Formats: sequence, structure tokens, C-alpha cells
Amino acid sequence: MSAGGPAATAEAVAPVSRIPRRSPAERRRARRRSAVRKYAVVLLLLAPWIIGFVAFTLGPMILSAYWSFCHYDMVGTPKWIGLNNFKFMFGLGHIPGMAPGAQDPYYWLSVRNTLWIIVFGVPLRILFGMLTAMLLTRPKRGVNAYRTLFYMPSMVARVATALVFVYLLNPATGPINRIIEALGFNAPLWFFDPQWAKPALLIMGLWGIGDAIVIYLAGLLNVPRDLYEAIAIEGANAWQRFRHVTLPLITPVIFFTLIMGIIDGFQYFDQAYVAGNVASGQSMELGRPEGSLLFYGLWLYTKAFRSFQLGYASAMAWVLFIATMACTVVLMLTSRRWVYYGGRMQ
Amino acid sequence: MRRTLLILALVAAALLITTAAACGGGGSSSSPTPLDTSASHEPVTLTVWHPWTVKSEKEGFSTAVAGFEEKYPWITLDIVTFPNSDEFDQTLIKNINAGTPPDVAITFDASFVAKYAVDDLWQDLRPYMEASNFSMDEFAPAALSYTAYQGEQVALPVLTDAYGLYYNKDMFAKAGLSEPPKTMTELADYGKKLTVTNTDGSIDIAGFMPWPDFNQLGVSDLGGQWGGTYFGADGKAHLATDPAWSSALTWQRDLIDFYGTDNAKKFVATWVDKEWTPDQVFEAGHVAMIFDGEWRTKMIQNDGVKFDWATAPFPAADDKPDLYGMGRAGGTICGIPTGAKNGDAAWLLVQYMSTDTDFLVSLANMLGNVPTTAAAANSPDFVPPPNFQTFIDVWDNPNSSWQPPIVPTGRGYNDYFATFDVKWINHQTDDLQGGLQEVDTQIDNEISMGQAP
Repeated sequence: MSAGGPAATAEAVAPVSRIPRRSPAERRRARRRSAVRKYAVVLLLLAPWIIGFVAFTLGPMILSAYWSFCHYDMVGTPKWIGLNNFKFMFGLGHIPGMAPGAQDPYYWLSVRNTLWIIVFGVPLRILFGMLTAMLLTRPKRGVNAYRTLFYMPSMVARVATALVFVYLLNPATGPINRIIEALGFNAPLWFFDPQWAKPALLIMGLWGIGDAIVIYLAGLLNVPRDLYEAIAIEGANAWQRFRHVTLPLITPVIFFTLIMGIIDGFQYFDQAYVAGNVASGQSMELGRPEGSLLFYGLWLYTKAFRSFQLGYASAMAWVLFIATMACTVVLMLTSRRWVYYGGRMQ
Repeated sequence: MRRTLLILALVAAALLITTAAACGGGGSSSSPTPLDTSASHEPVTLTVWHPWTVKSEKEGFSTAVAGFEEKYPWITLDIVTFPNSDEFDQTLIKNINAGTPPDVAITFDASFVAKYAVDDLWQDLRPYMEASNFSMDEFAPAALSYTAYQGEQVALPVLTDAYGLYYNKDMFAKAGLSEPPKTMTELADYGKKLTVTNTDGSIDIAGFMPWPDFNQLGVSDLGGQWGGTYFGADGKAHLATDPAWSSALTWQRDLIDFYGTDNAKKFVATWVDKEWTPDQVFEAGHVAMIFDGEWRTKMIQNDGVKFDWATAPFPAADDKPDLYGMGRAGGTICGIPTGAKNGDAAWLLVQYMSTDTDFLVSLANMLGNVPTTAAAANSPDFVPPPNFQTFIDVWDNPNSSWQPPIVPTGRGYNDYFATFDVKWINHQTDDLQGGLQEVDTQIDNEISMGQAP
């Protein structure tokens, strides 16, 4: 032990002891102040987003939830009518001033049309997106040019795409029908035939799947090469390579495009609105032709801004929101069984 | 402390109530007195919204209305235009709700008038009219069908549209016809006679194409010629019980069957998007007769159509010869939104735009619309396009009116009828009576849903 041991320690400690000791309560207050300062900075930085979220998302959502139980026609004060909007939507119970069982006559048609576009449109989009992306991994030369070409349609506004396709698919003057007829086949009436109007929309949708192609391309290029080499050594053919290597490793991408496709499908609007209106001039018919393009979003818009039934439209919007959420949750739960995240199932 | 909070809460509640009352109160309760236009006045700026979007129309309106500022030198007009006339009324309603309306609004869409009246969005003009000794007799009776609702006069017409039959005289002569059809049976017969098909069976020239909403022909225009009305005395839809509608729809389907539904669809598909171009189906010589508005006369004149053509009233049902000469009539309107800051000066402008002969003639010459007053229609300065008199006569006809009738819930109710009509002509149903009953229920429900409980 050195001579100066205890004394030196006391001297060394002395300057520290000159700082006034704080009581536990003071320390707690100081910690609280520091935490408050930290949160204040965080809040300040987040403020623009919070203000935007409250003003443009949360506020309107709360309002529309309230309006869904009201009669509201864009003017004056919304009047509380309980569940009447929902009763009319589903044809349940009695609504004052209406016959028993009164129901929105086009609600279920709009639901059926929307489910149709989801059931056929989403798998086709996944399939075509994946196959095109697989083709785009093949070329050795000019690969960037091909990728750009396939992505370009996605950059065209949906409204413009719809206008072009209405022209291309015009049953009398459109070039596509002229080719079909020149080949000796009966050409469809496309947007003038309820059987062909939705398939015409699908064709239009497949033309603009560049965004899906890009995502699949990224997924495919991320599949490790050594896995292909390993399975090739074991003598796997092309299908087995796809089935046992490619497919499992791009399931996260499939899952993502599936969810986004379903959400887009529930909100399907602009293509149908433009195609239906342009193809039929100023027709007052709902969901022209013959109701085949009356999608949920379109019917909701009609009720809100043509019939001024903003309360009923809000109720429709909430049912749509709940249905979309339910589908997403179910898919998330089932994804644990089939989505493969690099070495483990999610 | 609690006491202070309670007082504060009471004050806040009182403020809310008075503010709400002020917001919902609408226009002033005192009757306006006539403005002495010869006395000196404080300068006033009137904000005017109009829906014209084409540059020449916007300039034409500004030129025509310049006479107002000369007449009332203390008033300056602040004219506001919009890029898209389709959203005009929705934007107007939002601004009225927000307490920032223009002093004067002009709109193309008269189907909002009932809503403007019932929801107090536009002021009732009757007090101003009484104070100025202004009478609706200035206009043809049709004006009332789209400017007033349940006695409340919320708008006045600014020119109008009137609809009738255009026919190709060269085609008529070739087919040995000299006069336009006057009855619906004649219309169908002439239509069949004048139709020319291609070798593959498709339609080259349709005599008359009654496809719903092709060009301007709506189902309400057809039924109107049979004297059909939408609503009974009880205010309920009665399409199924008014025989006019089943007659009109049967006539329509018979003529479309003559062409063949798919053929008709292809024909419509070929021409539907060319309505506002020089290749419009009548101007292009691919229909012999068409239902259209008066503006087509000016378009035909401007486009330099080569064949000989004429106009006539749209034919009436065979058993309703007294209805011949009537048709759909109605168009641009103006009014004073609730909350307008300069009501008296705004009324001067509304009165001017609806009745000043120079203004109406100037605008009518530019737009090719029907002048709404007799003085303007007879003015030597009014230079109408060829074959225009038909539309002035349709406007003046006491049976003419705006179709479909205006209701406070907007025009959406007629969509149900139009939808059924398409189903009917496509032979998706043969139960006309049952279908019309269903449409009646749909219309009644639509109106019930749209009305405040």
C-alpha cells in the first residue's frame, strides 16, 4: 500500500464531494425533465407527419365513421339515423319511410363485380408479373432496354391507359377487332358487352404490370445461384428447379403482390370509371355496359357525389375498410404456412 | 376553480350555439328594397363564378357582361372561372358551406336547383323580384320547371337549350320523303326506310337510332312525347302505372330490334365518342334523323356541312297530336348563393343576365343558344344559325319542360330507369311492367335515402 493511499483517495474524492448531492426526488425530476426534452424533440420532428395524419387521415376517418350512422348530404348538420345506412345496404330490418326489406338494389352487384376483378385479376397479375420477370432474367444483351420497355406502360397514367384501350378495343373501329375479324373470327364487343367488359379491363391491367415485374425481378435475382447449382447436380429438371428453389424463395414477393393486389382490387375505380364513361358517351346507365363495370368504389362514388348520400357512402366505405382488413389479416395468418423468409417459414 | 371552469364552459356553449345559429341562418330576414340605381353608391365588387371553360366562351361572356359595368359604374365584376365544369356545382356547394360563396353563381346543371332550394344553398329570389316588379312572365313556362322548386324561385335562366329533330333533307328526298315525321309511328317508319346497311349486314346509315343516351336522346325524352310523367300526385314514382312509359319503351325496343341489338351496339360504338367533333354522326351523314340540342345548328354551320338539312320538333305519340311541338328545354341558370355579401348588387346582375336584351343577344350569337326572352329572340341584332326557329318554338311551347324533373336528391334517381331501359332493349327481361314497378321502388327508396329524416 502506498504512503499516500487513504489521504490521496480523500483528496481525489474531495472535488466530487463539492458538487451538491441531489436527493432521489431531484434525480427523478431531472430524469423526467431529460426524458420530456427527448420526447419533445421527437414530437417536434414528427410534428409535420402527425399534423398531416390527424388532419388528412385520422380526422376524416373519425368523421366518416360518425357519418356512417347519419343522414348527411354534404349540406348542414349530419342527422343521426342509427343503423339505417347499414340496414339499407344489406336489406335488413325496417327503415322509416321505406317498405320493409328495402335494400340498395346495386350493392351486391358491385360486390360481385369487385370480387370478380380480385379473383381473376390478382392471380393473373401475379402469374404474368412472375413469368415476364423470369423472361427478363434470360437475355444476355440489351437487358436494361427490355426491362425499361416492359416497365414503361406502368408510367402511363391509368386514365390515359383507359382512353387508349377504349380506342384499341372499339368493336367497330378499333384495330384489335379488325385484326380478329381479318383472321376470320367473330370479334367481341368489349366495353359494349357485359360478358367482355371486365376481361377487357383485365387485358388493360396486364399491359401495365411493370411495377409487379420490377418486384419479381428483384426477387428472382436475389435467389442464390449456388442453390440452382446444387439442385442441378442432383439432376433436377427446369420444373423441379422452379418448384423447389425459385418458388419458395420468391414467396415473400408473391405474398406482397397478393396483398397489394387485393387492396387495389377492393378499391378498383379509375380504369372502370373512365372506360365505362368514354365507351358509352353520356349514358346514365349504372356500371355500363349492363352493370358489368359497377365496382364497389364506383358505386360508393355515385352514392356520395351524384346522389349526395354521403352518410350511406361513408357506411359503404367502412364496410370496405373492414373487408379489406379482414382479408389482409387472414392472409397474414396463413402466410406462416407458405411464405418462406430465407431459411425459415414466417 | 371549478366555478370558473363552469362559467367558461357555459360561455363556450353559448358561443357555439350562436355561431351555429348564425351559420345556419342563411340570408337576411328583412325584405330587400329596390336599389336606387340613379343615386350615388359606394364601390362594390361582385364575385361571379361561371362554368364556361373554352377560351372563346370565357371571353365571350366577359365581353357580353361588360355592359353591366357600364350600366352600373359603381359595381366591378370579379369573374372567376374553373378548369373543369363537371365539378363546378360540387365546388360551389363546398364554398357555400364554408361561408365563402361568390355573390353570383352561373351553372349549367339545373338538376341541382331543387337541392339549392330545399337546403337553402341559393337565396329565394322572390323578395328581390317583388321589390323590382320582376315577373317570371318574362320567360316561357318551361323556365319554371328548372329554376324553381315548390314555389321557391332560386334561379333565373341565362339563355337556354331546347331539343328537337334534325333531319337530312337529301336523304329524305332520295327516299321520296318530303316532310319530317310528326308522330312516333312515322318516326319509326321513316327510320326503317332511311336505313342503309353494308354488305356484311352492319349499319351504314341509321334512319333514326333510339339507343339510350346516344347523342342526346334520354329515356325521359321518349316518354315525354307520350305525355309521361315520373311522379304521381302523392310524390311517388309511377312509371309502371303511367302507360306513357311502357308505350315509349316498347316503341324504342321495336326499332332497335329492327337493327339488331349487336348491330346497334356496334353502330353506337362507332359514333358515340365523336359527338363534339365535326365527325358527329349526323354531320358525317350516318344518320338520317337525330334528336339533338339547338347548339348543333351552329356547329353544323361552323363545320361547313355540305348536305341539305332542316330541323323540326321531335315527333309526338300518335294519340297525343296536341303534344307535337314540345320538347326538353332548359339550360344555364344563375342565382345568388346564401351568404353572398352583396345581395342587392348581385340581384342587379342576376336580373341583367336573365333579361338584358343586349347581353342575351351577344351571348346567344356567340354560343348558338336560345335567347330566353321574347325581346332578345326578336331583336334585329340576334343572328341565329340556319334552321334555328324550331328551337325558339320548342322553348315557347307551353308543354315543354326540363326532363327528368328536378328533385332535392339530385339526378341520380333517373340512373335506375336508364339502367332498366338498357336491360329492356337488350332483351335481358321481357317483363316490362314488373321492371317498371321495380324501378319505381328504387326511385322512391333513392329519394327517401336522400332526404333528411
